[in-house]
Amino acid sequence: MAKTSSLLKIFVMLALAAAGAVLLLPPQAAAQEEVASSIRRYKDREASTGYYEAYEVRPRRLKPLVGVPGVEAGIFPYSPASAKVRDRSHLADSHMGIAFYKEKTCQTCHPEQAKDIHTVRANLTCRQCHGGEPIASIPYFQSPMNPIRRHAYVCAKCHPGASASYAAYVVHEPRPSQASTLKKFPLLAYAFWIMVAIAVGTFVLFLPHTFLWGLRELFMKKEKK
Amino acid sequence: MSPATKTRVKRFTPPQRLFHLGLMICFLIQSASGLGRMFMQTSWGHGLCWVFGGYDAARTVHIYVGIFMLCWFALHALYVLAKINWKEFPECLFGPDSLLPHPRDIRQAFQHTLWFLGLRKETPEFGRWGYWEKFDYWAVFWGMAIIGVTGLIMAYPLVSTQAIPGWGLNVALWVHRIEAILAMAHVFIIHFFIGHLRRHNFPMDRAMFEGSVDLHAAREERPAWIARLEQSGELGGALVAESGSGLRIVYYLFGYTVIVIGVFLLIGAVANSGRLIW
Repeated sequence: MAKTSSLLKIFVMLALAAAGAVLLLPPQAAAQEEVASSIRRYKDREASTGYYEAYEVRPRRLKPLVGVPGVEAGIFPYSPASAKVRDRSHLADSHMGIAFYKEKTCQTCHPEQAKDIHTVRANLTCRQCHGGEPIASIPYFQSPMNPIRRHAYVCAKCHPGASASYAAYVVHEPRPSQASTLKKFPLLAYAFWIMVAIAVGTFVLFLPHTFLWGLRELFMKKEKK
Repeated sequence: MSPATKTRVKRFTPPQRLFHLGLMICFLIQSASGLGRMFMQTSWGHGLCWVFGGYDAARTVHIYVGIFMLCWFALHALYVLAKINWKEFPECLFGPDSLLPHPRDIRQAFQHTLWFLGLRKETPEFGRWGYWEKFDYWAVFWGMAIIGVTGLIMAYPLVSTQAIPGWGLNVALWVHRIEAILAMAHVFIIHFFIGHLRRHNFPMDRAMFEGSVDLHAAREERPAWIARLEQSGELGGALVAESGSGLRIVYYLFGYTVIVIGVFLLIGAVANSGRLIW
């Protein structure tokens, strides 16, 4: 008995020491983390080859291999609409060749993208994150919006210390109640519908219950004293 | 004091009343600051945020009151652990004083419903806690856990996204929102109705403020509880006098202030819901 209790004491002291050591460690500077792959290294900062369409626009061999949590296709694919314009998805100027482009505003073609917390609540304009012309496709190798550097180049402007994981926040959030969200952002849709089911279930049970209760007591015979 | 003036039965201890009071105040502040931010585009929501000093200040208030609320909740959990009768540990959880759900609660809920519909002559023999009270109590536990965790995730996104991917923030916001709507609607409609509007309690059930309930009313509504107290001989010791009229005025004023704020929030939110940009 005495042996086990002293062993236990040692364990507890070790655990406390470990917890104390964690508190003493320097804080992690998330924005400075490395997202460059071992293959690509620092190519995004290196000089151009000069062969525009052939190399920079579609860096085939250098397709991003590094996943950012939550953004890799499959678990969290981009919208079906952007999947259709496959040709535009890796352009240095994603709007290249669009007719009367200069006459249009962002919302002419992207009305849904102006209805989220960043635009409606924080009053951000599109350009504050997407930058001036030309606006590169997001997965374009050297785009500031590319998930490998978005957190440091874009998000950290207002959210100092933003990490790659932090930048996986879906700014243009799809409406969770829409059927298409089940494909675009399944976890959000499931969480939404489960919570709605709990809320609706509670009220389906308790609203009629409470109403009938009140009604029944109203017409109850006067209690005997 | 003569026994004749002791007309009420003890129901809640001072710490329990204090926990409820703190919860009430925090809940109202959280409701007002949260709804204010949610309805910022409407003049109603704008006004609510103004109370806290604007859109950004409302967030700061919401976060710190939320953290206080979680600490209050942790304190309550410690209180509950200290109050458990550990000598009869597993059995006491299923006893008549326990708030844990019991098969008889489901039976009583059905019997109560039959009584609402006139299919049963007598109300069920409720003990100390009715099934609706147990539901309310555990709903707060569940709600605190869900709202507290999602709230902390969103309050400290730089830290929380080290553990979860950033899109978890999107999920956290929606879970937080829907749970908050559920909690507010439940409190402002169902909890207020049961505590104030139904004839048994009208105009207000003072039990949570005064700590005691009228013996006659308790015998009427919770016959099993009073019978148990009588049988064990504890009833005499559990009787207390009604509080003075000054205190009663305070209870009523406070209770009705809370009702007015709650109903104002409920009606404002419903009336402005068409203008809401989620």
